Amino acid sequence: MSLYRKIALFLAVMGPGIITANIDNDASGITTYSVAGARFGYALLWTLIPTTVALVVIQEMVARMGVVTGKGLSDLIRENYGVKSTFYMMAALLIANFGTTLANFAGWAASMDILGLSKYVMVPIGAVSVWFLVTKGSYRAVERVLLFACLLYFGYVISGLMAKPDWFPVFKNTFVPQIKWDSEYAILSIAIIGTTITPWMQFYLQSSIAEKGIRKEDYKASRLDVILGCSITDIIAFFIIVTCAATLFPSGIRINEASEAAIALKPLAGEYASFIFALCLANGSLLGVIIVPLATAYYICEAMGWEAGINKTFREAPQFMWIYTALIVVSALVILIPGAPLVFLMILASVVNGILLPFVLIYALSLVNNAKIMGEYVNPKSYNYISWGTIVVIICLTVFFVVTSIMPAGGKI
Amino acid sequence: MPFFSELFVSEILRKPVLDPRGEELGRVKDLVVVKGEPLPKISSLVIEKKRKLFNLPWSDLSIFNKRIIAANIYGAGLQSYELREEDLLVARDIFDKQIVDANGAKVVRVNDVKLEGLNTEAVLLAVDVGMRGIMRRLGVERGGEDLMGFLRMSLPHNLISWNYIQPLEPKLTAISLTVTRQMVAELHPADLAAIISQVSRKEGAILFKGLDAETAAEALSELEPGTQAAIITGMDTDKAADIIEEMPPDEAADVISDLSAEKAQEILGSLEKEDAEDIQELMGHEEDTAGGIMTNAFIAYRPETSVKEAIESFRRDAEEVETIYYIYVTDAEEKLKGVVSLRELLLSPPETKLSDIMVTKFKTVTPETDEMQVAGIISKYNLVALPVVDSEGFILGIVAVDDIIDRILPPAAKRKRRKV
Repeated sequence: MSLYRKIALFLAVMGPGIITANIDNDASGITTYSVAGARFGYALLWTLIPTTVALVVIQEMVARMGVVTGKGLSDLIRENYGVKSTFYMMAALLIANFGTTLANFAGWAASMDILGLSKYVMVPIGAVSVWFLVTKGSYRAVERVLLFACLLYFGYVISGLMAKPDWFPVFKNTFVPQIKWDSEYAILSIAIIGTTITPWMQFYLQSSIAEKGIRKEDYKASRLDVILGCSITDIIAFFIIVTCAATLFPSGIRINEASEAAIALKPLAGEYASFIFALCLANGSLLGVIIVPLATAYYICEAMGWEAGINKTFREAPQFMWIYTALIVVSALVILIPGAPLVFLMILASVVNGILLPFVLIYALSLVNNAKIMGEYVNPKSYNYISWGTIVVIICLTVFFVVTSIMPAGGKI
Repeated sequence: MPFFSELFVSEILRKPVLDPRGEELGRVKDLVVVKGEPLPKISSLVIEKKRKLFNLPWSDLSIFNKRIIAANIYGAGLQSYELREEDLLVARDIFDKQIVDANGAKVVRVNDVKLEGLNTEAVLLAVDVGMRGIMRRLGVERGGEDLMGFLRMSLPHNLISWNYIQPLEPKLTAISLTVTRQMVAELHPADLAAIISQVSRKEGAILFKGLDAETAAEALSELEPGTQAAIITGMDTDKAADIIEEMPPDEAADVISDLSAEKAQEILGSLEKEDAEDIQELMGHEEDTAGGIMTNAFIAYRPETSVKEAIESFRRDAEEVETIYYIYVTDAEEKLKGVVSLRELLLSPPETKLSDIMVTKFKTVTPETDEMQVAGIISKYNLVALPVVDSEGFILGIVAVDDIIDRILPPAAKRKRRKV
């Protein structure tokens, strides 16, 4: 195949991997990276490389399943493990994704606050316009909004450059791991992995690849899409950490929220850097608000065999429309009610996510090794060692993360 | 024989099977289904004892209901059983799979299977696709009923009779009924397309294979280009060519231009020469221009033709042509001279010549005209079709209103299934 044809093929297949990667850096991702940069400077940068590797290993398998079977992950789990596993998994996914939506609305509210707009106006506006864009807007409109939103992520690269980091320690810390025996350090490094590898993303990626109908013959191009996407995710993460590490860390500013980072940036890196940081947070949050509730409603309905579809009415697809609408409305309301247990709900969601992740990964790995489903595309034996190794490490870290989240003595994140 | 009344398969899974002395032979693991008339029937039970599987033929059962399942043989008489791919098992192969509800024209998922006693057999009566089925499988049907009762609502029974079910997997297709296959073929092509776009490519192709060339052609033109290409690529060339031949040339050209160069050549090669030329001519135009959406199947007669002759020819020609509401009047060189509407043709005296009744002031576009401009003209002048002519006035084809509407407001099956 000529180089030109290869490029043309790649352009036709790309998309799912890169979009999935972008929405991975939603409000909770941005928060984790900002906190990590502000608290430990460049010291945690090295975690991004193993995280990227783990992300590629897992997403490659999920993408391969999407290409070979043409079905989503929730369909495959339902068809092979029955209604019970599926039901509990979907129930957990619903709770976890409620938390994710909540986190994204919180990110949206906070960034609007920085830009001087009241959350009591902007959260309802955001919720209503997202609901209308998705249910009433045309496919082209939604796609344009998404692509534009994905481009906005490069704002973080700009704010990273504006922070004028000292590049030598940046690269040294990226490639040379630094182990500190500090509980906060350990928790933050696990949180970086936890926020990057989430259960719902696996569902999203596999469905969007199945949706796109990529053929087995073009699988190589799809793999490139996944690898590129995973790298972009972590390059953005890299610049978020660098921004906070170059500015907030030397001044000893500790933060708990991404929005605090944006405010703290103002005197240190200038008004523009602060503005861009806040704008990117708003963008990432809104992207999450658009996709997470919608994706959740789709996976649940497909797995349970309920009618699903954007253009359907409440009468035609009641479960779908109610799940989708309730996720948006309830999350927006929780943000607006003063004194709502926001922190508790988000911790609950991340714990449920943590409990869900091992199941999703183990199911995915056993499905990808099922010759009846995958045919000749099962994992090669050597690759299985890498996958199992990755998954076992992630599971151990997640269990540790869940335990420390439940016991607040471990620190706060 | 043993079976009366109805029951759901999930109610008897893991239930003990007793021998005549009342001792346990094993527990129900699954049920083997075979083709039957009028409905598929249970041929044996698969039972499990101490991790070993046994096959218990239906004829050896003495009691079979929700509460008691008993056989008239003893443990020593059981034949051992190994899970085989060829066998069709209810729990393994039917539960949780997607099927087509031919009556409701949609894809659903099997939550449970309902059996009924018919003569001495147990037949597959219906599948449960509702919330009740899910709750029964989770073991909380009673609780769900109470909860809904408390809320003063009822938990609906959502059953689809086996008569309306078309399975999607090759193995299951073997037990689908002739009635259903006819029903699926009779669905509106747009509904068929919606169903095909909702299932995986492989399953869509299986459903597609069962259709006759004409229905297949109509359903195919309602699908999104990627799916069209995948389905045609997966077919053998002869069958694909049959389907392409049934399509109007403009739609055929759209489908073929999305195929790989090799496959496209193969298919064009096995078409009739004239059809292949028509299609190739259309493939030369940009997709979003008048040339890209026009068809070269239209009706055209000479100016000196009488109305009587025209109506006679029309009866013959209209069979093959999609848009018949305008008769184009062309000279010997195929230059477009005028347009006669079908209404005008039918209302005029038989001896009149077409040149007397044709409209000579009509709208045309060139092949390069943008599709939105074409839509604008069609909408403004309330046309059913718009002729496409080259710079010298030769007619190349027509753009019909349904083709332009498909471009502006594509039906759901033509768009990506999901919006994000």
